[in-house]
Amino acid sequence: MTVIAFPGRRNSGWRPAELNEVVASVAGRLAGGDAGGWDIGVTERGDPQFYLLGPPPHHECILCISRLGSVYVLENGKGQVLFEHGSLLALADAVKRVLRNKKADIVARATLAWFVIREAFVEKVEAMLGESEELLVHLAPQLAALA
Amino acid sequence: MEREQAGFTMRPRTQFARAAPEAKVRRRQAGTWLKQLRARAGLSQIELAQRLGLKYYTFISQVENGFGRVPTESMEAWARALGAKPSSFARQLLSYYDPELHRLLFEVKQ
Repeated sequence: MTVIAFPGRRNSGWRPAELNEVVASVAGRLAGGDAGGWDIGVTERGDPQFYLLGPPPHHECILCISRLGSVYVLENGKGQVLFEHGSLLALADAVKRVLRNKKADIVARATLAWFVIREAFVEKVEAMLGESEELLVHLAPQLAALA
Repeated sequence: MEREQAGFTMRPRTQFARAAPEAKVRRRQAGTWLKQLRARAGLSQIELAQRLGLKYYTFISQVENGFGRVPTESMEAWARALGAKPSSFARQLLSYYDPELHRLLFEVKQ
């Protein structure tokens, strides 16, 4: 496999305008506390990277944006490429979309977990109620005879 | 500084710096160790990405800078690409990524 390195124009870090755009695209997550912060770095070749970090205590990278030549690459924390494009606005939209999907995914998982717990609880309670009902059916005639 | 020129920067950056989580320090140590292994293997980040079959080399940088982890499912491939024994490679990474589990598995004396 050929790794795309984008030779030519050397990067010298993020430009303030593009960094503002990138930070604005994740601002909702930061304000909501779903992300614990962000940081920047560079690759060995000097290509700038932006890292959106998860909540404490691990602060692990959840999204990484890199600029390689004139292309922005969006990856998740496991190195999967989610989006690649030359337009900063398209990148910002993609970041928002990915974060929205992540949130929807979390809500869906939480809802599923709630239903599973509820179902298990109902099953257990029903079993307990069934047992006591059975016990009552057995004991009632005996109690009646004693009385 | 470009961080200060960006309008939104101060609050999250300051919060993050204050937290200084241990996990991040350990990930950074893991990144430094991986960088040394790569240098010893005579590979650039691009060449390592090539060996791992990645489209871009940016994930290598993410991990070496201490922001990401080597995923468990690709530890063996990383080890082989860097000329390391997979079991010792995974064990060393575990000591950075999950020191408590590493201690329980390898350090606790009976």
